[in-house]
Amino acid sequence: MEHDPRRYRTPLWVDWCPGCGNYGILQAVTETLAELGLPPEKTAIVSGIGCSGKTPHYVYANGVHTLHGRAIPYATGIKLARPELTVIVEGGDGDLLGIGAGHFVALGRRNIDLTVILHNNQVYGLTKGQASPTLPYGVKTKSLPKPNIQDMINPLALAIASGYTFVARSYALDIKHLKSVLKEAIRHRGAAFIDVLQPCVTYNNVYTVHFYRKALYRIEDEEPDWDPIVRSPDEETEKKAAALARAQEWGRRIPLGIFYVNKTRSPFEHRIAARNPLYAEHPPANRLSREPQQQPPYTIEEVMSIFKDRLVKVKTRNARRSGIPSSRDRSPEES
Amino acid sequence: MSMDKPPPPLMALIGGPQGAGLETSAQVLTVAYATLGYRVLASREYHSNIIGRHSYILLGVDPARVPRGHRYPVDVASFMDAESVFTHYKDVDRGSIVFYDSDVDNVSLERIVSMETETKRRLRRELEELGVEPTVVGVTKYMKSMGVEVVGFSYRGLLSSLRREYGIGYAEARRYISMVVAASVAKLTGLSLEELEEGLRYRFRSRPALVERNMAVARRVYSHLGNVAQIALPEPQEPPDHYMVMTGNEAVAIGKAVAGVGLQAYYPITPAQDESFYMEAHEDQTGIVVFQAEDELAAIAVATGAALTGARAATATSGPGFDLMIEGVGWACINEAPVAVTLYQRGGPSTGLPTRGSQEDLLDAAFAGHGECPRIVVASWSHEEALTDAVEAQNLAEEYQIPVIHLLDKFLANSVATLPPPMTTSFQIRRGSIEPRPGSDYRRFALPGPVSPRAFIGDAVMWYTGDEHDEYGHITEEPETRIAMVKKRFAKLDEAARNIPEEGVRLHLYPEDADPSGLDMLIHSWGTAARVTAEAVDMLRRRGLRAALVRVHYFSPYPSRLLSSIAAEAHQAGARLVNVEHNYTAQAAKIAAMKSGVVFDTHVLKYTGRPIYIDELVEALMAIHEKGLKEVHLGHGA
Ligand SMILES: Cc1ncc(C[n+]2csc(CCOP(=O)(O)OP(=O)(O)O)c2C)c(N)n1
Ligand code: SF4
Ligand SMILES: [Mg+2]
Repeated sequence: MEHDPRRYRTPLWVDWCPGCGNYGILQAVTETLAELGLPPEKTAIVSGIGCSGKTPHYVYANGVHTLHGRAIPYATGIKLARPELTVIVEGGDGDLLGIGAGHFVALGRRNIDLTVILHNNQVYGLTKGQASPTLPYGVKTKSLPKPNIQDMINPLALAIASGYTFVARSYALDIKHLKSVLKEAIRHRGAAFIDVLQPCVTYNNVYTVHFYRKALYRIEDEEPDWDPIVRSPDEETEKKAAALARAQEWGRRIPLGIFYVNKTRSPFEHRIAARNPLYAEHPPANRLSREPQQQPPYTIEEVMSIFKDRLVKVKTRNARRSGIPSSRDRSPEES
Repeated sequence: MSMDKPPPPLMALIGGPQGAGLETSAQVLTVAYATLGYRVLASREYHSNIIGRHSYILLGVDPARVPRGHRYPVDVASFMDAESVFTHYKDVDRGSIVFYDSDVDNVSLERIVSMETETKRRLRRELEELGVEPTVVGVTKYMKSMGVEVVGFSYRGLLSSLRREYGIGYAEARRYISMVVAASVAKLTGLSLEELEEGLRYRFRSRPALVERNMAVARRVYSHLGNVAQIALPEPQEPPDHYMVMTGNEAVAIGKAVAGVGLQAYYPITPAQDESFYMEAHEDQTGIVVFQAEDELAAIAVATGAALTGARAATATSGPGFDLMIEGVGWACINEAPVAVTLYQRGGPSTGLPTRGSQEDLLDAAFAGHGECPRIVVASWSHEEALTDAVEAQNLAEEYQIPVIHLLDKFLANSVATLPPPMTTSFQIRRGSIEPRPGSDYRRFALPGPVSPRAFIGDAVMWYTGDEHDEYGHITEEPETRIAMVKKRFAKLDEAARNIPEEGVRLHLYPEDADPSGLDMLIHSWGTAARVTAEAVDMLRRRGLRAALVRVHYFSPYPSRLLSSIAAEAHQAGARLVNVEHNYTAQAAKIAAMKSGVVFDTHVLKYTGRPIYIDELVEALMAIHEKGLKEVHLGHGA
């Protein structure tokens, strides 16, 4: 039962346009959760705003549909407070690379164990098809009054440069490929990024299913001994350079696959544990019990000991001291 | 100005350029007084600058209680440099003692490059009018003529002997100037060398060599001041065994630890950053994860995300950062997520006066954000209350599943006070309604509310969305559900209002036993302004004016009923209704009018970023009483 993908779907009616690439991503996600046997209560799908942002409502697992651009920070809070959870971020290209670009870069720096799925449709779907940060210069999609005059961001190159330790590209309608990449990404310990090319049938008449069918190829098909994995720090520069070179390709031919994996960088959770010895056993979510009423975690003596750098022992000039804290220091108007 | 000198019994001012160790001087002195059992309030005024601009610290010392504010003129002033002499020559008066560097005697006002042009122009004009030569020696002569005792000391002489003795460079020797300043104040207020050494040992704990060298400097200053009369301090009354000497930032940090906060996310901003810094320094003992986010948009999101998993979570910021957090506060509101935001007010708008205090963000805290977003707003007035409110903010956030804004200001954040260690046994952790065994049909937003039993991500399956939602947390635009959910969220405030007493919790009357129908003046205030006002009320009463303070502690849920009944009684008896705040637009008075119908129509306002001083406030209130002024704007303080 746990492994039945239907178990990972909520009964809600999915309100994406018929034929939208998001259906493929949703199917890949639920099947992956099922095949990995991830318990729904220990899994969280965190999204931003957009057509893509609705995904969590369709998945039977914890769903957190956040603010436009802020899925990564909410996911960060969830993961750091409760590191045992599997946390997946789903965001649009406007969401993750436009309004939320700062957070996207910051996650790379930290290498938190999150999996980020970019629903890359090159448009702002939910606001009716404006150009997104991944739409190339000069392209005019259906609802644009004039061709795009901004350049595109290369999501893979940005992820690699930011420090993501797992970087891949897949295609929304190639569910088998997407699932295999997604499984690797979830298993990876650190910040994982998958650029998922997602046809928007309503607003994107340039990057269509027809276009992708012709343009997409798998890296391994062209380069059979492609090995993106950094296994020791001295391989990093070379593998990064190869990944970045491959990531430049965009147009008539577009590569799919795993571009870059670095297993030598410690995930953020380990970095916290290294300086906060209580973290592994008492992460933030477990600092207090579930009891509705309880005593503070510290006694007065413990407070005095933890914060002893602020403690001053009183030694009056003459010995007429009462010893008990005087009511003067707890003035009635404050108690 | 005064018939009687306002408390505290001892006021000292130390001044010097930023980065020259003034904080060390203040810390050494504060701890030395505290060790003897005295209560101290030490407040720092500084520019948004790291090295070189003028800064100063006011120290109030009291044998009986933590000073509720500062006053001028000060009793002792000790200056590191010439700029301090010019800046503060009017802050002393007959009977005060000034200690300064006699080597700068010939420095003229024009040569002080770090001084702001406007200040220089104003001082030049002032000195001209007084017929005082614009040099340090000219100004010290003037002070002497006013009855101030002025003592010069050659800093250069001391520095060159330090360099010879210890074989150190000029820059290193200069660091001992902070000790010259501390020792001069200590000596002039009757501390023995051994008593001063307590402060040094605290400051330089693990470095006895530094204690020894500083003591050598202190001995030189003490012998130089051998014959100067000292200011006598009354013996401390019933001191506790220990004090904790902490800033407002640290009080909040300690409160958060006591509350069981698991994660604090922040982005650095004055005057909030020291709170997170202090928490981070103690991370290994408390286990609190202190997370430096990439901006405030992220800080509130990280804290809120953590709260969804059952962690107690918080963030701390000041105005500019709070503006960025607002969309996140709205998300927490519609998702009934318990998150506490500590908001330290500074002067605005924009970056405004980044290192100066204000109460300009009350309306922002209470109302900011699109849509209608119920929240709890609590404003602390003292260090002790900053700590207890930090604990209570967490309790209220979880009990009502609502964002809580804890309002403080720079005056509290950056001032140091001596507090007894917090009696943790008197605190309680109240987590509100928690679903012990959430099933597969768990509804995070179960109606009717207002508080649905909470389960945590990781224990059950639930959904959250910033869109309006149904009981499960799924998006809906259905009108009846919308009505139920809006009412559910606002009913939290009604419930909080039923449970949290107005009298003595949400609203404080001072003196507690004041009879509103027997008053000449009812003064409304809040936060640190109210604390200074309490002191002013005592002074006014000593002068025979029947004054009382109503202090608003909770701006949401607002103490409407009690405030309007107190004000009505006072008004009927003919009392003047006066309002005291640290802003230009009288924000708290506006809320009072809106929420309780009480119109405070006479205002004392200060928005220079400097604290309201007891003496200037008493003077303003007397002028209102005697001349019927409707509005007084205060401006004292360099
Ligand atoms: C702060 C803010 N600004 C603007 C919007 C309006 N908005 C909603 S969705 C969206 C764009 C979504 O585009 P994308 O992230 O690519 O997602 P898609 O719909 O394409 O999946 C915008 C701008 C918003 N919700 N919040
Ligand atoms: S607008 Fe585009 S992205 Fe949005 S649901 Fe329709 S097809 Fe999908
Ligand atoms: Mg998009």
